[in-house]
Amino acid sequence: MQVIWDGINEAMRLIFGGDADVLQITLRSLWVSGLALLIAVLIGVPVGSLIALRHFRGRRLVVTTINTGMAAPPVVVGLLVAMFLTRNGPLGQFRLLYSTWAMVIAQVIIAFPIVAGLSLAALQQLDLGLRQQIAALGAGRFQTFLAQLREIRIALLAAVMAAFGAVISEVGAVIMVGGNIKGQTQVLTGAIVQETRIGRFAIAIALAIILMALAFGTNLALTMIQQKGRQSV
Amino acid sequence: MSAPATPVMVARDLSVVRDGRTLVHVERFEVRSGRVHVLLGPNGAGKSTLLKALNGLERADGTLEFEGRPVRGSAARLALRRHTAAVSQKPYLLSTSVLDNVASGLRYRGVRKSEARAAATEALEMLDVSHLAPRKPGRLSGGEAQRVSIARALACDPAILFLDEPIAALDPPTRRSLVDDLLQILDSRGIAAVWVTHDRDEALAVGDSVTFIEQGEVVQTGPAMEVFSRPATESLAAFLGLDSYLEGTVVVGQGGDLRFILRDGQELACGEAPLGHAVACIPPEDVVLLTTAPAHNMSLRNVLQGVVTAVRPDGRLLRVSVAADGLEIAALVTKAAFEELGLGIGSPVAAAFKAAALHPIPRHERPEQTP
Repeated sequence: MQVIWDGINEAMRLIFGGDADVLQITLRSLWVSGLALLIAVLIGVPVGSLIALRHFRGRRLVVTTINTGMAAPPVVVGLLVAMFLTRNGPLGQFRLLYSTWAMVIAQVIIAFPIVAGLSLAALQQLDLGLRQQIAALGAGRFQTFLAQLREIRIALLAAVMAAFGAVISEVGAVIMVGGNIKGQTQVLTGAIVQETRIGRFAIAIALAIILMALAFGTNLALTMIQQKGRQSV
Repeated sequence: MSAPATPVMVARDLSVVRDGRTLVHVERFEVRSGRVHVLLGPNGAGKSTLLKALNGLERADGTLEFEGRPVRGSAARLALRRHTAAVSQKPYLLSTSVLDNVASGLRYRGVRKSEARAAATEALEMLDVSHLAPRKPGRLSGGEAQRVSIARALACDPAILFLDEPIAALDPPTRRSLVDDLLQILDSRGIAAVWVTHDRDEALAVGDSVTFIEQGEVVQTGPAMEVFSRPATESLAAFLGLDSYLEGTVVVGQGGDLRFILRDGQELACGEAPLGHAVACIPPEDVVLLTTAPAHNMSLRNVLQGVVTAVRPDGRLLRVSVAADGLEIAALVTKAAFEELGLGIGSPVAAAFKAAALHPIPRHERPEQTP
């Protein structure tokens, strides 16, 4: 019990004392996961929409692959990315392994199927009649697409929240491709693992509290936007 | 007599084919300014598919011309949609305010927000729902939502308004008031309308012309009254509720008038029809029931004596079935008239109708076989 209290005290000291290491790890976590999420949304929403709105051969297989990707274990993603980025791998020439870019790539691969799969499902649930009504009102293809995205904005925000939760909390892939190098590629999850391993539970608890606060704060903000959108339906 | 309205849209040999199957085909279909054209037919006949093809929502083979220009390719179909508007059975309102919903069509057409909102306000006033402007669609009744949907279409000032069963989901009083308002607006603004329905009463109430579609093909097209009183086929007659069928042959009688000779040799006076084998139908609203002999000065040239075999409600009227000389004749009468005549099952009664009410439908495909 004492360990937990010490951890909480240490957390307060580190958070409010403006500890440089903790701040750096936190910002790195936000940067890696935020950038990965942004890229995943920019690719995932159009890809999910395209699959939802178009009929093509092999569509069912693509949907199954995306749905499987939503449940892909981060360590498997880490393994794949590491294989591609390793010195002798297909992308080894770019020397990205053990860099924050490698961590962003891994997290994009984790977040992308979540965003694509959930936006696909939301668009598929929209009544076909609504799509035709929007087109009948004189909307061009892109206008129809944007109008439909507006109609599923609550579900889209849920997809963003789910994807953010997945990447900010994952540890397997970022350690495998980032190396958990202190001061360079260490993020909150990796730091918690390392501090726990060496028995510095107080710092590990402090970092865990920060991680939870980050997840809570981000989801709170997104939920508020989402529920505001719900009132306008 | 007023000059015929100009065709704003002409479809020639238009067909919608999906997966190698023709869903609907029309030889020629014209939409004229200020007229309401009804596409009537049973469910699954292809009416809505044809409506979508005319509206540029569905690719179609053949020729479609809008205001004299051919509609070919997706850009032309989009241009067509930007000069017309559509209303569905479901209002399909967007999750934004009523005002922005009504302005949305104009916004898609590139109209500035302030101008679009001004036009939307005007359209809402036209439909008597301007008080709903700030509301969200989820807080509207079915009738209100459909009025908003129609206002959204009219805000675009369309050359043609395409309506797909627009009142099917509404209760009767709401239907009536909405139809009255809509017809008045269409008439005053000279907007052409193509109105899909499977309801024959609705078709008769709103249509200047009616096109009956069955299994993807046009069976008959023409002025509404003509289609309803002189159906071209038995299936259309059945759809229109003309269920008194008599088999026989149209011949020229001794006095030079047309006679319909029934299989048992009975003769009836009939309206204009080609000579030969036919199935005749009699609109039940044209049949008069009498308990006394008709006056000599009455124009009811056909009088069949029989008994009442069945009585069932048909809207506000009663549909009375009469078995007369081996024939089944149906008549529509008011409840008051039924009681005044003192009728009941088994009552003797005369079913009388004019020669023009007997409409023989030629039966070329199945000539009468001699035993």
